[in-house]
Amino acid sequence: MKARFLDLLVSVAAAVFLGLAASAAIMLFLGKDPLSAFGLLASSLIRDKYTFADIFVKAAPLILTALAFAVPYKASLFNIGAQGQFYVGALVASAVSLAVGGRLPGVLGQAVALLAAAAAGGLWGSFVGFAKARFKANEFLISMMSTYVALAIMNFFLRTSLMEAKHEYPQTDSFDQGVWLPLIVGDTRLHAGFALAVLIAIAIWLVIYRTPFGYRVRVVGYNADAARLAGIDSKRTYVATFFIAGALAAAAGFVETNGVQHMLVQGFNPGLGSEGIGIAILANANPIGIVFASILFGALKGGGVIMGQMSGIPASIIEIMEGCVMIFVILSYFARSIVERRREKRELQRRMPA
Amino acid sequence: MAAPFIEMRDITKLFAKVVANRRVNLSIGRGEVVALLGENGAGKSTIMKVLYGLYHADSGTILVEGERARIESPKDAMSLGIAMIQQHFSLVGPHTVVENIVLGNVRGIIDARACEGKVRDLAGRYGFDIDPRAIVRELPVGSQQKVEILKALYQDARLIIMDEPTAVLTPQESESLMGFVRAYAEAGNSVVFITHKLKEVMEVADRIVVMRSGEIHGERKREETDERELSSLMIGHELPPLPPSSPAAEGAPVALRLELVNARDRRGVVCLRDLSLSIREGEILGVAGVSGNGQDELCEVVCGSRQASSGSVRLGERDLAGVGIRERIELGIGYVPADRQRDGVVMEMSLAENMILKSSFGKVWRRGPFLDLRRIAASARKAIEDYSIKAPGPEALAKGLSGGNQQKLVVAREVEGSRRLIIFNQPTRGLDLGAIDYVHTTILGEKRKGKAVLLVSTELSEIFALSDKIAVMYKGAIMGIFPKAELSMERIGLLMAGYSGVGA
Repeated sequence: MKARFLDLLVSVAAAVFLGLAASAAIMLFLGKDPLSAFGLLASSLIRDKYTFADIFVKAAPLILTALAFAVPYKASLFNIGAQGQFYVGALVASAVSLAVGGRLPGVLGQAVALLAAAAAGGLWGSFVGFAKARFKANEFLISMMSTYVALAIMNFFLRTSLMEAKHEYPQTDSFDQGVWLPLIVGDTRLHAGFALAVLIAIAIWLVIYRTPFGYRVRVVGYNADAARLAGIDSKRTYVATFFIAGALAAAAGFVETNGVQHMLVQGFNPGLGSEGIGIAILANANPIGIVFASILFGALKGGGVIMGQMSGIPASIIEIMEGCVMIFVILSYFARSIVERRREKRELQRRMPA
Repeated sequence: MAAPFIEMRDITKLFAKVVANRRVNLSIGRGEVVALLGENGAGKSTIMKVLYGLYHADSGTILVEGERARIESPKDAMSLGIAMIQQHFSLVGPHTVVENIVLGNVRGIIDARACEGKVRDLAGRYGFDIDPRAIVRELPVGSQQKVEILKALYQDARLIIMDEPTAVLTPQESESLMGFVRAYAEAGNSVVFITHKLKEVMEVADRIVVMRSGEIHGERKREETDERELSSLMIGHELPPLPPSSPAAEGAPVALRLELVNARDRRGVVCLRDLSLSIREGEILGVAGVSGNGQDELCEVVCGSRQASSGSVRLGERDLAGVGIRERIELGIGYVPADRQRDGVVMEMSLAENMILKSSFGKVWRRGPFLDLRRIAASARKAIEDYSIKAPGPEALAKGLSGGNQQKLVVAREVEGSRRLIIFNQPTRGLDLGAIDYVHTTILGEKRKGKAVLLVSTELSEIFALSDKIAVMYKGAIMGIFPKAELSMERIGLLMAGYSGVGA
């Protein structure tokens, strides 16, 4: 067990290194010096408290959208719609925040906004599970397309009832300060949403690996036939996991509107859903692994902005870096299983009497 | 002295976790029928897959007619005249017999008539009654096997390896297969017969090679041995005879009753026809039949995973119409499915997790909102001990267990979880003799405990050894239910083939 954990650490570290090396090669093609770019990236990320804390600000919603992919994935379902669920959550959180801001005491207002967002996102998501259970619809496609519907609904409200008082841009007014998520480190943007996301990740881990419900979700994911003969209703599992997924992505929406933007802006954070998928795959859908992978991606995102500002390298290089890291980490899973098999075979040969 | 046709020297094949073959030396002469006898997991199939080029040996050499041969793929093997018929046929169902036979051996424009002529010719030579234009999936299993044989013959195979060829055949079909094997060998060709059935071995083989845990554990000429010696070579010791079956209580209450049950499969084809049967408490009803004649559907109708289109299923007094799988489990029905890897076990989960598969809804395994992992592990440890499951511990993944131990796991779970009725569908398929013996003893034990047992099996010896009453199924209907004493092997064979009008 210990050897395998070491394997995991070494292989993931090596994969991240190789991913960065591959992106360095690409920078060379762009005629930029990768070493100075990486130096800049590293130094700027740890140079000041604000930038460093921003890594975790960026990680918070990523943790939640990655979990939104991971939970249905445990039941062998693909939730490609976290982006839309995120928008639904952001929309409802904003509407509630605008309505209760200043009327309810702070924490209570935040809680109401979070719960309303999660419930709405959950319902939105469970529709996908329902379509799968009832009509054998393809959850991959339905969830993916539901994102566009959610986006359109958000735009509709941003141009009508939720539009700012000035009626200039498709965005809401700023929320009352009472419903802002409190900062957990002063002089930074780091808010309670990060702690919330980590707690939720731990809770999801417990649910998946330690409760009868999570057990049944995994049974359905591994072997739907055996699940059926054991009296486990996979249809209910489809709806339930998609409800949870929708609620998680919606919570990410709440975290972003109430923790960072303090308002709702049209089409913000458009990549959160797909990055979440990448992170979940990177972490092998393990909720705890997702926390660490999200922090890594948070750092890359934060660094990308700085690199773009300072070194003349287009900020989109960071997406290439993310992609390279992801490819190598996924390759490392296969490498690890090959190493493991070889080791067992050698062991066997050694023990075999001549 | 001329070199034998095939000689395998010092073949060692390793898989990640097991030594599949260790220094195996094996020769196959011309005109010889070699039986490769051994339990499941003894390495019989592996060594033959090495010869056929599906696996690559880690060390050792293969000589064909005294010359070193490199066999990298089945294509190489076929060009040397070696063919192998896998346990699961590799046929294209919607294609015709001829199309299947020429598959992979034709280029450019196919001269269909010439191919058909050649196939007809080959079939005629060995007396196979097969229409070359028939669609393969519409043929009975016995004929599909003949198509596989024709495929080998079409490529001028001089050695045919058959992996458990009789597993899916009726007694009559097996008989005709044996006839082919003899005729083929008499023409100077060779056959390797992989099997764990002693009876077949004594019937057809010239020489018997016994394998055990990857090594050769003895070679005998047929004339020089008997079934007793072979079985002890195979498992290393002799098995105690099964305890005599206690007589079923005559007046015991009926536990399961099916009346005029009909059911259709997904395509709407009738798969159960007016099926009626009843099983008393403490009674074993054996259901014999060639596989695919409605036995699986019968089990499904009882366990609740298939709805009857008409008729009634009763457990004791309770009508099971509209009662779901989960409720039926709670009512005390256990089910050991035929395809354990698909329906019975979650391969990626641990043994302990597999043990709670059917009882995760109850409060038994819970502490607060969470699973009581310690108690689950303890109960799995007890099952490992009680059912002598060979596993490193409760945390071992099911996929790491051998087939026999996976089955013991399923049997343990279903026995523990059922109170009134337990269904065994092909409970010993693919198991080694030790595990078979264990499962049989368990089934008899369940009967003694007063549970009703529905035993579906294509192994007639199993049906005869365990059942109190025997039902024979053919095309979804029951051909008759008989007390065991009133049935002979021959009679049952005819019933299995659909002939009901023989004698009384």
